[in-house]
Amino acid sequence: MEFFPASFSIFYQFGNAFAFLVISCAGLAVIFGMMGIINLAHGEFIMCGAYVTASTARAGLPLPLAIACGALTAALVGMVLERTVIRHLYHRPLDSIIATWGISLIATQAVLILLGPSMSGTGTPLGSTLVGERSYSIYRLVLFASAVGLLGGLYLLFYRTRFGVIARATIQRPEMARALGVDTRRVYGLTFGLGAGLAGLAGGLYAPTMTMVPTMGATFIVESFVTVVVGGADIFLGAAPAAAILAVIKAALTAWYGQLFGQIGLLVAVIVVIRVMPGGLSAFIKRWQR
Amino acid sequence: MNPIELPDASEAPARRGLKLWLSRLEGPQTMGRGPAFWAVVVLAVLAALSYPAFANDYVVGNAAYFFVWTFMAMGLGVVWGYCGALSFGQTAFFGLAGYAYGVITINIGSAFGATWLALLLAVALGGVFALLIGYFMFYGRIKGVFVGIVTLSVTLVLETFMAQTAGPQWRIGDARLNGFNGMSGMPPLTVPWPGGDIMLYSGTALYYVLLGMVVLCYLGLRMLLNAPFGNVLVAIRENPERAEMLGYDIRLYQMLAFGLGGALAGLSGALYTAWGQYITPSSMGLTAAALPIVWVAVGGRRDITATLLGCLLVIAGFQSLTIYGSQYALVVMGALLVFTVLVTPDGLVFTAINRMGRLFKRVRR
Amino acid sequence: MKKNPNRHLMAAMLAGTCIAGLPAMAQDGPIKIGVLEDQSGDFAAATNVKVHAIELATKEINDAGGIDGRPIELVIYDTQSDNRRYQEFMRRVLQQDQVDVVFAGFSSASREAYRPIVNQFDGLAFYNNQYEGGVCDANMIVTGAVPEQQFSTLIPWMMEEYGPNVYTLAADYNFGQISAEWVRQIVDEQGGTMVGEEFIPLGVSQFSQTIQNIQESDADFVVTLLVGAAQASYYEQANASNVDLPMASSVNVGQGYEHKRFTPPSLSQMHVTTNYIEEIDTPASNDFVERFRAMFPDEPYINQEAANSYIGINLYKQMVERAGSTDHDEIRAVLGEGDVCFDGPSGNVCLDPQSQHMSHTIYLAKVEEDHSISFPEVWENIEPYWLGDAGCDLTQNDPSAQYTPSNPPPAQ
Repeated sequence: MEFFPASFSIFYQFGNAFAFLVISCAGLAVIFGMMGIINLAHGEFIMCGAYVTASTARAGLPLPLAIACGALTAALVGMVLERTVIRHLYHRPLDSIIATWGISLIATQAVLILLGPSMSGTGTPLGSTLVGERSYSIYRLVLFASAVGLLGGLYLLFYRTRFGVIARATIQRPEMARALGVDTRRVYGLTFGLGAGLAGLAGGLYAPTMTMVPTMGATFIVESFVTVVVGGADIFLGAAPAAAILAVIKAALTAWYGQLFGQIGLLVAVIVVIRVMPGGLSAFIKRWQR
Repeated sequence: MNPIELPDASEAPARRGLKLWLSRLEGPQTMGRGPAFWAVVVLAVLAALSYPAFANDYVVGNAAYFFVWTFMAMGLGVVWGYCGALSFGQTAFFGLAGYAYGVITINIGSAFGATWLALLLAVALGGVFALLIGYFMFYGRIKGVFVGIVTLSVTLVLETFMAQTAGPQWRIGDARLNGFNGMSGMPPLTVPWPGGDIMLYSGTALYYVLLGMVVLCYLGLRMLLNAPFGNVLVAIRENPERAEMLGYDIRLYQMLAFGLGGALAGLSGALYTAWGQYITPSSMGLTAAALPIVWVAVGGRRDITATLLGCLLVIAGFQSLTIYGSQYALVVMGALLVFTVLVTPDGLVFTAINRMGRLFKRVRR
Repeated sequence: MKKNPNRHLMAAMLAGTCIAGLPAMAQDGPIKIGVLEDQSGDFAAATNVKVHAIELATKEINDAGGIDGRPIELVIYDTQSDNRRYQEFMRRVLQQDQVDVVFAGFSSASREAYRPIVNQFDGLAFYNNQYEGGVCDANMIVTGAVPEQQFSTLIPWMMEEYGPNVYTLAADYNFGQISAEWVRQIVDEQGGTMVGEEFIPLGVSQFSQTIQNIQESDADFVVTLLVGAAQASYYEQANASNVDLPMASSVNVGQGYEHKRFTPPSLSQMHVTTNYIEEIDTPASNDFVERFRAMFPDEPYINQEAANSYIGINLYKQMVERAGSTDHDEIRAVLGEGDVCFDGPSGNVCLDPQSQHMSHTIYLAKVEEDHSISFPEVWENIEPYWLGDAGCDLTQNDPSAQYTPSNPPPAQ
């Protein structure tokens, strides 16, 4: 049956692009959407997660556990960073760009000096499967499932748990939350840690599929950035649909015209979308809902 | 634009023409006024003029290289510091003008002052392109961090596109764009002279030319920023809605400021190409795009003097760090950025000048 | 790599800078060699070892008395994988430090950035990297391998071994596009078919569509010309999708030692033509590796660029001693004699007077399932023939240009 392999292939390509965008931008979206901080060190949290995942996996830990380690390490580093530097930068988006860029320089160079120019990776698990005449990597499907699961998990966290309610309240009306007795500084710290942890998770999930060098964050940062900004402040009303739209554009252009058009097309799409919806997708959707 | 008469602080009689513009060298938007300040400026220029007598040709050429970048920093200072729009894509105009200079001079040569024409055209191209992007953004009511994203996307699109123009079909006239490897073979700025053209390679002659340009540009920007145009820009930065309610079309002003910033970035680009006879797409990439922001942030974006001095300081400092600090150079640079943001968010140079100014005031009393 | 082994040479560099301030150039002082390499940034993985190779050669030569009795002094700068640093430091090293020769450059962009400056000061620069070929410039001596040396050996062998249908995957810039052009030409000459050609922008790391395209085609083997850490992710992803096709490359393994860095079996069935890798099992190579590891025990890998840099220093020594001076015209006159050769880690290599490039012994390295290396074939003394054939003759004139197969030297 010709239809199934063809549509599976399309779905696979879209799922790939979508998973990449969602997983890599989740952390950035939480931090930017919730706290107004532009975290240019996002790529370095991804690198941190990837490196920790690879080292623990090579030391013998099963991969899911290793990925969890990577995410946790990144979260801890994030919380430390929040305490020392980020705390002073809330709602100063332009200053946060510079400070986090500085942190990114320090991190990349320090890793280069301490751990050398590259790190041995782990292989991609789960092998491949045959659909029609072509074989597909099963791990890529796992990545897509993870992306969906991630969105679901975050939704549950922010909309169904106490922490989520408090976090959203703190971000929307910090003074009110404080008046009601919430320790806002702790909430900010935890939220930043969550964002960093999500970045580490992205690193851990993609570590088996990529080369690991200190500058590996750079390959994620532009695309996660544009997805977050196109999406606007809300991760569910903004970043997720933005990732879907951009994924479709990128996958389609790459399939029809090659990687160059895919890259350029993505960037041009960003320009156009921002022009048409100046507050990002979430602002547009919110206005439309009224 | 009708010249709006600003009430002069000292209530002197209204001035016209040249006197009006000269009076704008000092004003509320720029730091430094009074004879003491201008004495320091004159001393600095004299020191710069006599510098080649004390330093060898390499050091002077290196200083000329630093001057090349100051225009881009000043342009970003206008757009970001005075108008409040963080443009992440100044390198797009830099690269465009650089390539334009290369293409034009490779095609028409360097005789009879053609390189200067090419320089002018390249700057104009940068400015026009910036006006277009500015129109697209500001008339579309894009603001805040979105300006940064759009401009970043523009410069990355240009970089990605130019990096793959390696094939022989990518040529404009005689000039092959040559993709990622970069375009070379263009002549430096050439002064037509009876008896033999003077080629301004990196060296003392180029140093003087660039010094003159920097001084002119600096003074010109001071005058412009203290004029009503500059006042409106600052008003837009502080509170755009209020500025609009006062009747100013903020989109026009933002677009014009952005065009000016783009033209200045283009000037840097063309001069860089003329200085090194080389231009490459990586000068429009992510790292290159972040550098002007670093210079302006560390120097101080709210004031053109601080931006200029800060840019020179940071570029020279980073180069020295790279030469003498080897691997740790990048770590120190990162630490410097974090330090600046946390301790002196208005910029190192800006804060320093402010403190010195206050010190002098106290001394005078 | 922990401590910075350049520290003792940094002192030499500072001393050299002070000495350079002296007005007169002491003809009998040390011979100064400038080294401009990317010791940090994107390219650091493959270039730190070049600096070490230069340091090894310098130490050996100095221990044996130097060049004509004059010791070598290294002036080393870290160019941070940034083209602008190449411009700044090339100017510095030629004007201020006033070195006699410069060993510089990794990426072709960096070479093109500094070439105008070398020409302006009439300096002499060694470019020790493989690249896309075509530099016809009297101020440059190129020890790196060029496409005619790597592809004219690799592609016919692969086609004979695996079949005539070829799919090319190349980085979308000069090196990748020109190499792909060479592959196309040779496949054509050999009677094969190009079943696909894909160009990937630098920095792209996701290849699912590409992998699908390859699987849909009838390729017998894939020529991968991927550059940079991001693009190298292809191998892992192709392995995970079980593409299972032999691969051919001129650029992986020999430069970035991917077979050591990636988990098996992602690079298995990779065939690379390189002029040197540390696995080569000849007495000369083993001796070189032993001496290298004695001086740098933590070196991750000794690649072809390291060997080229080592050979370059020794060739320079030979030319200076034969010319009796460091003057560039006299050195080039010696080069013009046509017999400047050196017996080094990769065998006997010679400089070609017409193009100032180097002949190479080309080793075909095959990566096995467990990432060990075997050498099914070795070609001796492959000349860099293309530039000379196309019309570049540096003994006659100096166009200072870079040519490509579709943009050859103008007919004389």
